[in-house]
Amino acid sequence: MAFHLRPDAPELPDFSMLKRLARDQLIYLLEQLPGKKDLFIEADLMSPLDRIASVSILKQHEVDKLYKVEINKPVLSSSEQLCFLVRPRIKNMRYIAHLVNTDKLAGRTRKYKVIFSPQKFYACEMVLEEEGIYGDVSCDEWAFSLLPLDVDLLSMELPEFFRDYFLEGDQRWINTVAQALHLLSTLYGSFPNCYGIGRCAKMSYELWRTLEEEEEGETKSRRPEIGHIFFLDRDMDFVTALCSQVVYEGLVDDTFRIKCGSVDFGPEVTSSDKSLKVLLNAEDKVFSEIRNEHFSNVFGFLSQKARNLQAQYDRRRGMDIKQMKNFVSQELKGLKQEHRLLSLHIGACESIMKKKTKQDFQELIKTEHGLLEGFSLRESTSYIEEHIDRQVSPIESLRLMCLLSITENGLIPKDYRSLKTQYLQSYGPEHLLTFSNLRRAGLLTEQAPGDTLTAMESKVSKLVTDKAAGKITDAFSSLAKRSNFRAISKKLNLIPRVDGEYDLKVPRDMAYVFSGAYVPLSCRIIEQVLERRSWQGLDEVVRLLNCTEFAFTDVTKEDKASSESLRLILVVFLGGCTFSELSALRFLGREKGYRFIFLTTAVTNSARLMEAMSELKA
Amino acid sequence: MDCYTANWNPLGDSAFYRKYELYSMDWDLKEELRDCLVAAAPYGGPIALLRHPWRKEKAASVRPVLEIYSAAGVSLASLLWKSGPVVSLGWSAEEELLCVQEDGAVLVFGLHGDFRRHFSMGNEVLQNRVLDARIFHTEFGSGVAILTGAHRFTLSANVGDLKLRRLPEVPGLQSAPSCWTALCQDRAAHILLAVGPDLYLVDQAACSAVTPPGLTPGVSSFLQMAVSFTYRHLALFTDTGHIWMGTASLKEKLCEFNCNIRAPPKQMVWCSRPRSKERAVVVAWEKRLMVVGDAPESIQFVLDEDSYLVPELDGVRIFSRSTHEFLHEVPVASEEIFKIASMAPGALLLEGQKEYEESQKADEYLREIQELGQLTQAVQQCIEAAGHEHRPDMQKSLLRAASFGKCFLDRFPPDSFVRMCQDLRVLNAVRDYHIGIPLTYSQYKQLTIQVLLDRLVLRRLYPLAIQICEYLRLPEVQGVSRILAHWACYKVQQKDVSDEDVARAINQKLGDTPGVSYSDIAARAYGCGRTELAIKLLEYEPRSGEQVPLLLKMKRSKLALSKAIESGDTDLVFTVLLHLKNELNRGDFFMTLRNQPMALSLYRQFCKHQELETLKDLYNQDDNHQELGSFHVRASYAAEERIEGRVAALQTAADAFYKAKNEFAAKATEDQMRLLRLQRRLEDELGGQFLDLSLHDTVTTLILGGHNKRAEQLARDFRIPDKRLWWLKLTALAALEDWEELEKFSKSKKSPIGYLPFVDICMKQHNKYEAKKYASRVGPEQKVKALLLVGDVAQAADVAIEHRNEAELSLVLSHCTGATDGATADKIQRARAQALKK
Repeated sequence: MAFHLRPDAPELPDFSMLKRLARDQLIYLLEQLPGKKDLFIEADLMSPLDRIASVSILKQHEVDKLYKVEINKPVLSSSEQLCFLVRPRIKNMRYIAHLVNTDKLAGRTRKYKVIFSPQKFYACEMVLEEEGIYGDVSCDEWAFSLLPLDVDLLSMELPEFFRDYFLEGDQRWINTVAQALHLLSTLYGSFPNCYGIGRCAKMSYELWRTLEEEEEGETKSRRPEIGHIFFLDRDMDFVTALCSQVVYEGLVDDTFRIKCGSVDFGPEVTSSDKSLKVLLNAEDKVFSEIRNEHFSNVFGFLSQKARNLQAQYDRRRGMDIKQMKNFVSQELKGLKQEHRLLSLHIGACESIMKKKTKQDFQELIKTEHGLLEGFSLRESTSYIEEHIDRQVSPIESLRLMCLLSITENGLIPKDYRSLKTQYLQSYGPEHLLTFSNLRRAGLLTEQAPGDTLTAMESKVSKLVTDKAAGKITDAFSSLAKRSNFRAISKKLNLIPRVDGEYDLKVPRDMAYVFSGAYVPLSCRIIEQVLERRSWQGLDEVVRLLNCTEFAFTDVTKEDKASSESLRLILVVFLGGCTFSELSALRFLGREKGYRFIFLTTAVTNSARLMEAMSELKA
Repeated sequence: MDCYTANWNPLGDSAFYRKYELYSMDWDLKEELRDCLVAAAPYGGPIALLRHPWRKEKAASVRPVLEIYSAAGVSLASLLWKSGPVVSLGWSAEEELLCVQEDGAVLVFGLHGDFRRHFSMGNEVLQNRVLDARIFHTEFGSGVAILTGAHRFTLSANVGDLKLRRLPEVPGLQSAPSCWTALCQDRAAHILLAVGPDLYLVDQAACSAVTPPGLTPGVSSFLQMAVSFTYRHLALFTDTGHIWMGTASLKEKLCEFNCNIRAPPKQMVWCSRPRSKERAVVVAWEKRLMVVGDAPESIQFVLDEDSYLVPELDGVRIFSRSTHEFLHEVPVASEEIFKIASMAPGALLLEGQKEYEESQKADEYLREIQELGQLTQAVQQCIEAAGHEHRPDMQKSLLRAASFGKCFLDRFPPDSFVRMCQDLRVLNAVRDYHIGIPLTYSQYKQLTIQVLLDRLVLRRLYPLAIQICEYLRLPEVQGVSRILAHWACYKVQQKDVSDEDVARAINQKLGDTPGVSYSDIAARAYGCGRTELAIKLLEYEPRSGEQVPLLLKMKRSKLALSKAIESGDTDLVFTVLLHLKNELNRGDFFMTLRNQPMALSLYRQFCKHQELETLKDLYNQDDNHQELGSFHVRASYAAEERIEGRVAALQTAADAFYKAKNEFAAKATEDQMRLLRLQRRLEDELGGQFLDLSLHDTVTTLILGGHNKRAEQLARDFRIPDKRLWWLKLTALAALEDWEELEKFSKSKKSPIGYLPFVDICMKQHNKYEAKKYASRVGPEQKVKALLLVGDVAQAADVAIEHRNEAELSLVLSHCTGATDGATADKIQRARAQALKK
């Protein structure tokens, strides 16, 4: 039952090169400031940095002490040289400016260096200038934009991409995406076949192409290693991202939050008094077999595994001394390691089970399935209302509301009002802004908005229909956008017809990642396009997705690409992807003999999406 | 081939010198060269003449003429000299003409007589005038050294990066030195000068007397000195008629020659080449030319005309009114092949090839070479010698011989042959009379093809340059594109052609050749004051990012903004935005933003963090009341501290929401105002923390604090729905473990949420006793669940059987664990079986 690759699966390119590149560049930058220095790291960059360069490497290059950038906290460093490793954010600039200006007042002179990752923005330099410290600091860029979290998963670790682009309409990160793709194509050859859907997808694709063309004259293009690339905007499919995850990796993410490829298992999992940080990737032999499995299978698998392990341990009975020596020196270590991992995952499973029973998980899943399939709407609505009234969880409630809105093309006005009122009563008035955000992103809307359009909205929707205003940002156009989920679902057959029980042990299709109730829309789109090698015949779907202008194909003659490479597909998720989607596509790859590589701005899940949209009191 | 060596002159035992004609000069000089200031650039460079130098004719009425010719005497430029008296002319390494004036100003002209710039050699010169000047070449570029009327030297080692160095005084120097020269040693420039019988070396720090070793005594004056092309050797001509040759460091003597002529020579230059066998000096008098080396005899030529010597890397160019000749030491390969009765393999091969066309004797020659195993060497020799021949027919016969020999070799790498053919084609092309760059093979290799192309571009010989690039298959970026770009930059300077025509012509030629930057060309056009043309050219620039900086410079900010947006580079957009912000007044700035949503959202993001007030103004300007409302809501808890301020902010927000026709938000905001005031009152009256709690939490807090009346009042005031209130009270009372109150509450009326939650919450608080009370009141649909919750599996089974509900039966069954429930499980199984029977 465990998830194995097909024997004919194509080899993945070696992405560890990206890590080495990033490490070398960082070292180079650190060496630019010779001598002992203290390094201030932004919290968001700590985990990615950890995956690139260990503390000992940093120390080798004369980093003395490491500090976390903490706004409003006094800086204790006494070093003469301070180095800041930050994302290009204005608040970081203010932090640095404050620090430098404090030093200046105290008559202290130190050397300051700011390293922006993955790139610096003009706005940041401007803030430094406005604060009067531009001349006091030196700025550099650490073009570290792709972190290989796993053999087939590259993450840009930019969770803010989602809010910045899909809510604020800020396109600053698109260039970063294009640069990252450019790096990939220089290292692994260009991508002969390109497909994509979504405004951001199209912009990223075009920017990337421009970068390629600018350099075409100078560099000889390599033989492509990856045959296809598929760009997908997150707002093409919010539904999948909003569903509760039930494959193991997704569930671990929903429950414990996987951060940068590793998870902190608390004492309840480790069954000791300490927390343990565990890397979750293909190198964990136990995990790699269960990560893509439906949760209901995992327990059985693990106990089977435990029995096998016991059997292997038991073999040492009846061994002679020589055999025993062999066993101890060669096998024991591996077995012990496996044993340790096994007990960790069993612990995690128990903990998940406990939490889920407490939260009436079954009820929740039932409601979600109801929403996906479009039956017993009233029950679902009152379930959500009760959920809010009981203050079960602000994020969960919000998620269910959004799910209801998207699947139904918006809430009916009565529900829209009452649910929002209930929510405000439960969680406070600042969420008025949360709702405003959600509406702007098209996540929580009102049905038939025609008569209730505000002045601004009608102005904007006029612009949207006007072709000349094609450059209008997504944030606004989504106002006039309908999700059309039900129609798309019918068109693409997203709800599998069930005759009898769906056997989760032997999945038939990608729906298994949602207990057989729903095929993830994003993955289905990819499957359909790859099958046709174009959008042909999908016009209706594209129209329903409001993306007639933003679905593109660019297929080149396949003289250069090997057949091996043509079975490798790079999927670029703009705005994040979930582990369920990864599992579904890995399944699809195994069925069709492809292999997928994922590039995402960040790994996300429903909670992260909702948090990105929420207004919180500072 | 006997006659071929007719013009070879032996110097000593080992070396031959030959002199051959490069061009017969095209110019029609009216004056003698000796009446002009002359400067000729090395590497076959151009010749500049300034007629009517001031020293001769004092008549100020006649303006002198500056003329520039190619090495073949083709006129490149001719202009009237309008500036002050000139002391010296010289060419820089970039083929710019430097004219040193008496007042210390140096005027720089291009190859075509176009004035480039000027600089001064220092203020001190203004009074003392410049007596003499030298232009010299160093590894940093081209330098200028001057001798002032005060007998002081000033020099700059690189005119491109002008740093004047005034050298220390030479002690006892009362009159001008008899001769002097600039020397470059150890990356620094020095001056070597001769005063009477003494030589002085002046550098930055000091002036020291030096003596050439082994100089024949009796010298009372040095008449001429010459430094070799590479600054390695020095030659001195003394008044005793001796020529001393040695190293420039004056540490070593090479030889000394007595020419028995005491008249000062007109010019003396070195004539040697890299790996020279014999280092020689060429000395020119009015009618006589002498080649002198380490040999008892010199080579003598008669000069029919007034001539001028130009030292080169591997020889000397000699030009006069009628001809332009080249004098050099015969290269080794040529010598081996052409020397009379030479048995060198190359010579045999050449001979053999010639015979091959006529008789079988070719075989003998070939056999002879092969027996010695020297065929490879022979081929190499022929190839090399071809490079050193000036006449194409000689080049051809040598190459033919090489190609012939190659046939009999198994593995002769072809590239040296192919490369030589290519190089010779290029060389013959540029040596052509019309082009007039008489480069030798060694000079060409030293110069490199890139520099040669630059020089062709400088002469505006774009088609030839492009042909060469194409012929040599140079990468476009370094070759054709670069030249086209230069051409375009030249084209935009043609003021008599209209903007449209220029733009079209450029685009036709350039198309989208990779590596050509239209923005660079546009920048040049803008530099010439042709803004409109620059904008037209920018239209062809495919990278919008490249268009923006120039557009900003040309103050076309709005166009720049749309281009920046097109580029997708947000940083670029931001750059333009800040430009616009400073350039336009606030209203216009906002209006511009309004039409560019991408820029607007970018600027908003910035304002959100850095300029909140501007953000508000932006919303106001757009009548965006919805966002304005949100802005004030945020302010009500983020910016304002006092309750009055917070309420006021909310009031503003509510007004904005009304304007935005968002009644829901307006009402919600008003409710919040009410709640805030109320919370404040509660805090005053009851103490504790109420502010900033949600309505739900406020009520819960009241109940937990035992203020049931107040709680109910609040629920009524804010119209909290029944269901919520029941959930709320239930949770709160259970948390208080106030079971009595809970029971009272449960009986106050029929529960809108049923009684299962009561059971549930009691069990969560581990009060089975209370839970059971409520279990009995749970409605039939949830009865089974309730019974299971309180752990009464048996009764749950009974109810389920009674309901004949399959789902309920399974649920109960799944709760049957261990031995205790065994009986119940059996009972369910029996009931199931019975149900099936029916």
